[in-house]
Amino acid sequence: MGTTTGAERRVSALRDVFAWFSDPATWTGYAGIPTRVTEHLLLSGTALALALPVAVGAGLFIGHTRRAEFVTVSLANLGRAVPSFAILALAFPISLRLGLGLGFWPTVVALFFLAIPPILTNTYVGVKGVDADAVEAARGMGLSGTQVLRSLEIPLAAPLIVAGVRTSAVQVVATATLAAVIAGGGLGRFIVDGFAFGVRGIEGRQMVMGGAILVALLALATEVAFGLLERRVGPRQVTVRAGRDDPVRLGPPLARDDATR
Amino acid sequence: MRRSRRYVLGAALLATGLVLGACGPGEDGDTTGAGTEPEQKARLTVGSDGFYEAQIVGAMYALVLEDAGYTVDTQLDIESREVRLPAMESGEIDIAPEYIASLLSVLDPDSGGATTPEEGAEALEPLLEEKGLELLEPSEAVDVNAFVVTQDLADELDLSQVSDLADVAGDLTLGAPPECPKRPYCIPGLKETYGVEFGDFKPLAYGAATVQALEAGAIDVALLFSTDPLIEQKDLVLLEDDKDLQQADNITPLVVSEILNDEIASLLNGVSAALTIDNITPLNARVLIDQEDPEVVARDFLQENGLL
Repeated sequence: MGTTTGAERRVSALRDVFAWFSDPATWTGYAGIPTRVTEHLLLSGTALALALPVAVGAGLFIGHTRRAEFVTVSLANLGRAVPSFAILALAFPISLRLGLGLGFWPTVVALFFLAIPPILTNTYVGVKGVDADAVEAARGMGLSGTQVLRSLEIPLAAPLIVAGVRTSAVQVVATATLAAVIAGGGLGRFIVDGFAFGVRGIEGRQMVMGGAILVALLALATEVAFGLLERRVGPRQVTVRAGRDDPVRLGPPLARDDATR
Repeated sequence: MRRSRRYVLGAALLATGLVLGACGPGEDGDTTGAGTEPEQKARLTVGSDGFYEAQIVGAMYALVLEDAGYTVDTQLDIESREVRLPAMESGEIDIAPEYIASLLSVLDPDSGGATTPEEGAEALEPLLEEKGLELLEPSEAVDVNAFVVTQDLADELDLSQVSDLADVAGDLTLGAPPECPKRPYCIPGLKETYGVEFGDFKPLAYGAATVQALEAGAIDVALLFSTDPLIEQKDLVLLEDDKDLQQADNITPLVVSEILNDEIASLLNGVSAALTIDNITPLNARVLIDQEDPEVVARDFLQENGLL
């Protein structure tokens, strides 16, 4: 032990991880990578699907009406300030009492609160950022509040909203590893189990490092996928029609991609 | 972004520092007795691994030695056996409470284990001699994997010992730490020794989370340590290990041979003779649940048993 150098250890660690990934057993069965990736995506997807309507709805409401902005944004940001692990610890006994079981739902609750702030803030900022003159013009053409929201504010805010969803999704995918702590599935299983088997042993080390690499790759893939989606919805002109008048073209709000960071 | 991240890191480090600081032992060996004794007695360091039970027993060793006129330093928060054993070999730590079977499994991973403390001590003797260490008398207090169920389930399925699980386990879920499927005294041992195979296994962190899941019925059988105060506090039923799967992890003093004399041996053996599973469990509860100082708890116990 004393004679191995740091570099040698790093090389052998890499070789171990490579061996783990190339072992067919790693890829098969109820504890194989495909199962764990599916569980991981199911966890993340459920949390995101639940958070999306709530966060977008709230963001549109406060952006459009300019009411309760401070309270809502502050509340949402609690999701950022309170560690997901703490929410998980609180949700765990509640889920047990409600008969919702061990791993899945407590984790979804924790991820739900994690997913809300970026989406809500971006939606709010996107809607609020729509050129006031454009809104004025649309109203002048006789559009109702809902029509302004639907045909002007939402389309113009869309790139920012998707950017918020992307930020959320990446955080959620990276954090869904927590499920493993309370008997849930997902890629965190490799990390938690590997740690329990002992990182002094080769198997434990392989699982922890392999699991971490898989989580990172999945988060990266999520980032890329939503990035592509973002480009498709991304800055464009909107056409507003009111009655039989000529359509009016309006531009996007100033790019504020970093509004949430 | 970059800056805020740095703050977070700083805060995390600070918090870690505070926690570590708060965990430190509040005691730095009392030196007042050193010069007043008629004959100068050795200065000893008692160490223990940093969890409640080892800390309590470590404090007991320190107190009886101090009472006999030794100058005792304590180090009751050592990370693990892997850190403590080298420190004992080099003489930085002289005395520590050990668990016989666990020590054997670390020093000789290929040994078949030990189902009695005598067997374990015998297997350990040559291994310890090389290191200049030796074991004294084992206590009856033994801390092993214990399989527990709720009182309700025990009544319903008429469970009192592990072998009662054999016929019903297929419909039951076991909750235990994630390493259970790999450990000989957990799932593989249950299958081999008892023919017990659970229908499902839920990997859970040891302790409170497991007990919550057990009480809510999300798992049916849980693994706890036999001296865990939660067993009594939550009125759980500990299934008797009727086929002796579990190892002889009796709490036993491990001592550096060089400092050992008859007086030290008889003082530490006196502590061993007083300890049992039944009387150490409530002590664990006082430290783990009521957050009392291990030293206070140890002192009370020694006084009650006439050792101080």
